[in-house]
Amino acid sequence: MSRPALYGLLAEFTNPTDLVAAVHKAREAGYRAMDAYTPYPVEEVAEALHVHDRRLPLIVLIGGIVGGCAGYALQFWTSTIDYPINIGGRPLHSWPAFIPITFETTILVAAISAVLGMLALNGLPTPYHPLFNAPRFALATDDRFFLCIEATDALFDEQETLRFLQRLEPRSVSEVEP
Amino acid sequence: MSEPGKHTGPAGPTRAPVIQPGHTFGSVTDRISSVVLSERMPRLWWLGLGVGFLLVTVLLVAVTHLFMKGTGIWGVNVPVGWGFAIICFVWWVGIGHAGTLISAILLLLNQDWRTSINRFAEAMTLFAVACAGLYPILHLGRPWLAYWLFPYPNTMGMWPQFRSPLIWDVFAVSTYASVSAMFWYVGLIPDLATLRDRSPSRAGRVIYGMLAMGWRGSARHWHRYETAYLLLAALAAPLVVSVHTVVSFDFAVSVVPGWHATIFPPYFVAGAIFSGFAMVLTLAIPLRVMFGLEDFVTMRHLDNMARVMLATGLVVAYGYMTETFMAWYSANPFETYMIMNRFGGPYSVAYWSLIFCNVLMPQLLWFRRVRANVPLLFVISIVVNIGMWLERYVIVVTSLHRDFLPSSWGMYSGTIWDWATFAGTIGLFLSLLFLFIRFLPMISIFEMRTLVPEAEVREESP
Amino acid sequence: MTESVRLAPDHRLSRLRRPALVVGVVGAAALLLGFAVSREHFFQAYLVAYLFWLGIALGCLAVLMIQHITGGMWGAAVRRLLESATRTLPLLALLFLPLTFGLGDLYEWARPEAVAHDPILQYKQLYLNVPFFLARAVFYFAVWLVVARLLNRWSLAQDADDDPAIAIRMENLSRGGLVLYGLTMTFAAVDWGMSLDPHWFSTIYGVIFMGGQVLSAFVFVIVVAALLVDHPPLDGVFTADRFHDLGKFMLGFVMLWAYFALSQFLIIWAANSPEEIPWYLRRMQGGWQYLGGALLILHFVLPFIVLLSRDVKRRADTIAAVASVVIVARFLDLFWMLRPASAVYLSMHWLDVAAVIGIGGIWMWAFVGQLAERSLLPLHDPALVIER
Repeated sequence: MSRPALYGLLAEFTNPTDLVAAVHKAREAGYRAMDAYTPYPVEEVAEALHVHDRRLPLIVLIGGIVGGCAGYALQFWTSTIDYPINIGGRPLHSWPAFIPITFETTILVAAISAVLGMLALNGLPTPYHPLFNAPRFALATDDRFFLCIEATDALFDEQETLRFLQRLEPRSVSEVEP
Repeated sequence: MSEPGKHTGPAGPTRAPVIQPGHTFGSVTDRISSVVLSERMPRLWWLGLGVGFLLVTVLLVAVTHLFMKGTGIWGVNVPVGWGFAIICFVWWVGIGHAGTLISAILLLLNQDWRTSINRFAEAMTLFAVACAGLYPILHLGRPWLAYWLFPYPNTMGMWPQFRSPLIWDVFAVSTYASVSAMFWYVGLIPDLATLRDRSPSRAGRVIYGMLAMGWRGSARHWHRYETAYLLLAALAAPLVVSVHTVVSFDFAVSVVPGWHATIFPPYFVAGAIFSGFAMVLTLAIPLRVMFGLEDFVTMRHLDNMARVMLATGLVVAYGYMTETFMAWYSANPFETYMIMNRFGGPYSVAYWSLIFCNVLMPQLLWFRRVRANVPLLFVISIVVNIGMWLERYVIVVTSLHRDFLPSSWGMYSGTIWDWATFAGTIGLFLSLLFLFIRFLPMISIFEMRTLVPEAEVREESP
Repeated sequence: MTESVRLAPDHRLSRLRRPALVVGVVGAAALLLGFAVSREHFFQAYLVAYLFWLGIALGCLAVLMIQHITGGMWGAAVRRLLESATRTLPLLALLFLPLTFGLGDLYEWARPEAVAHDPILQYKQLYLNVPFFLARAVFYFAVWLVVARLLNRWSLAQDADDDPAIAIRMENLSRGGLVLYGLTMTFAAVDWGMSLDPHWFSTIYGVIFMGGQVLSAFVFVIVVAALLVDHPPLDGVFTADRFHDLGKFMLGFVMLWAYFALSQFLIIWAANSPEEIPWYLRRMQGGWQYLGGALLILHFVLPFIVLLSRDVKRRADTIAAVASVVIVARFLDLFWMLRPASAVYLSMHWLDVAAVIGIGGIWMWAFVGQLAERSLLPLHDPALVIER
């Protein structure tokens, strides 16, 4: 409280089971502003943190609809209105021939929405993040599992939270400079 | 109650694991990232890159000559106006398909054996599509105007002809390249973060760090990441089918006997997967030995890939059969002649070789012992690669060289420049592949971690 | 938990058996009457209805073989449903017999006077002639019956004995069996369906038939499984995950159907050749275009959109509702493919309805009877053993 110069406290675990247990206990203790860091996706951790974000499928769906409509509209407008030309006696509005490109643009825009949507929702790219200051945090992309309780949490108290984390028997606890 | 463990799987009692026992998170990370982070590469790597680079030089010479002289240096002429360029285009696009199939469709089907080959197969997809994409552009005659293929408002007041399958191809292949690249890159992000955190050099940390975009493995991030990855897979799976379908439309929507067949879309897609898996085997078998990755690319993987090859090979054989039967059944003399010309005409050697390579040879894969014999599997995979190239050769050349008008019949053969370009794209493919292996993890590290036994969250005993 | 589970006699599926038989008998009587009234309509209606129900049984045979090869919980859970459907094949072989009396009514190539004026039919006589046609039909049925019989017999043997060799034997037979199914069904589709328009040809036709049959099998199995969820202890087997699996397959095959249909249409439309395009011209006018449009909606757009939802796939009642729509669409698809050969204008004769309900009643009676014969779950399926 006295020193706002802290991003949070970081506890390190060696396996996912301990991390999940720690997250559960932290939730029970009332902590909310926290996040877990794992070297591979662990579904149980997300569940324990009550993370459920259903926005991405919707973004992709909208992207797909926009892509499909745009693709068809492009073909329709260019072939029948802006540049009508008789090719092999086919009708100007040759809807069967427009299906493949409509399909491709649907997929293309939907896929772009999926990638950009995921990055945007995750706030990536993040060139600087306080966690990278923690010396052992590099292991989060190798074989260690971290729980970070952030200083913005209402219950956060440097000493109290430190003691709480140490009771979870982590391998180490470290302070994260902002 | 039967004792558990007696049956180890639906496919029989003895199947190799997808990862050798004894690995930990750390050992997986070390083993795979060390290929990228080590100072030295094995001699065979240098040999592979060297051969690839030499062939790239051949490609540069061939393309320079082409730009100076025009497409007349190739063997194409009336009546065979589509030669090596389209043959190799289809061949390369087809090879790319296995990558998407492995990464997307097998992911949707929850097949965990895909994990150790998907990264590498996706890279193969990208490089194969890059090689494929070269051909239509080179074939344009004025390749510097390639951007005319795309619809953009222009001073000529013209638009592409959307009723043509060739413009469908532009969209299909460029969409495929874009989506494959995104899929590949998204899959790489967590591994790039691993490399960022492990790279011994400052340059490595900076470059991998920028590419990793600040990935830190947050549970919230993983949650959206996995959703995005699954959605991309769900989009890529129908996309891959559509791409070779559109490629088959290049032929099938015409009226040329031998091209105009409604079976073409599924038969081309099966052929693409067939050749793609053959190429994955051709590359994976030497690479796993070269870098000592037998723990991750196990016999199980080779066996499964051989099974997929057999299944798709049978579909391809089915395509040949229905084509032949329908040529007769159609009662159309041109169709009948086309088949008879393939059987006994001037290109019959190519036809029967392709039957040998694509239909007869893969039948060996019915036998478990053959699938467990790595050198033999390697040979079969190369034979299939050759067979699938011949298939496209036969489809393109025999259909065009004698169509409706006997007065305009002719013969076709590739010139030295055709072969040089083909060899050159193989070189480009190999060079890109070996550079990829040098700079990026060829096996997905984070997905391999999920296969380690301790990755599972154990139920807590209260 | 590996003890035998019999279909309860008071379960609604069991109680369905008697009404099904009644409907079947009434339908058969109506068909006989129809035969007396309008011989031509009888055979056309019978053919479509017959191929619809045969398609479900053969689709089940194909899916049964696929699940023997791939394994997985979804396959083990519905295996007995699939097997019961394949055990109706002898009945279906019997039901094929009436068709043999109507070849001349159905097929132009079987009418000598038509062939006499048609050089193309004369050319095709080598393949399209009555004795060879019948011999081929005997061969197809022989293959299907033998494969189905062996798989069923070994499956029963597996109930009694947990020897893993049995599973391997079934897997090996399924590999060859699938190849045989692909070959026989392709030619059967040409014989029974494509040759209704004897000048027309399309190389993807057999593939369209097979894809449709597999889809039929999946939707049928989904509906039956949804009826069985309240049958203890199957509620522990037909879980949300199982319906999710089956729903994914259904979605996949709905998409494949659209893909095959579009492939054939686009290629023929683009080439616009006088040999091929009449098939579509006929089906795009005279009212048939409305049925085609309905197919597009019911067979693709609607199930596709609804099945994108994860929740729909995981709930027995919703997925079964979608599957029921697709079952109807399957029949309409066959109707749209086959019936215009003899009808310029769209119309549904009362015999068309009587045939599909009559054959269906008898078939359902047989199916439920077969289902009650054996345990509803295979006792030593490797996938089920692992799960426990």
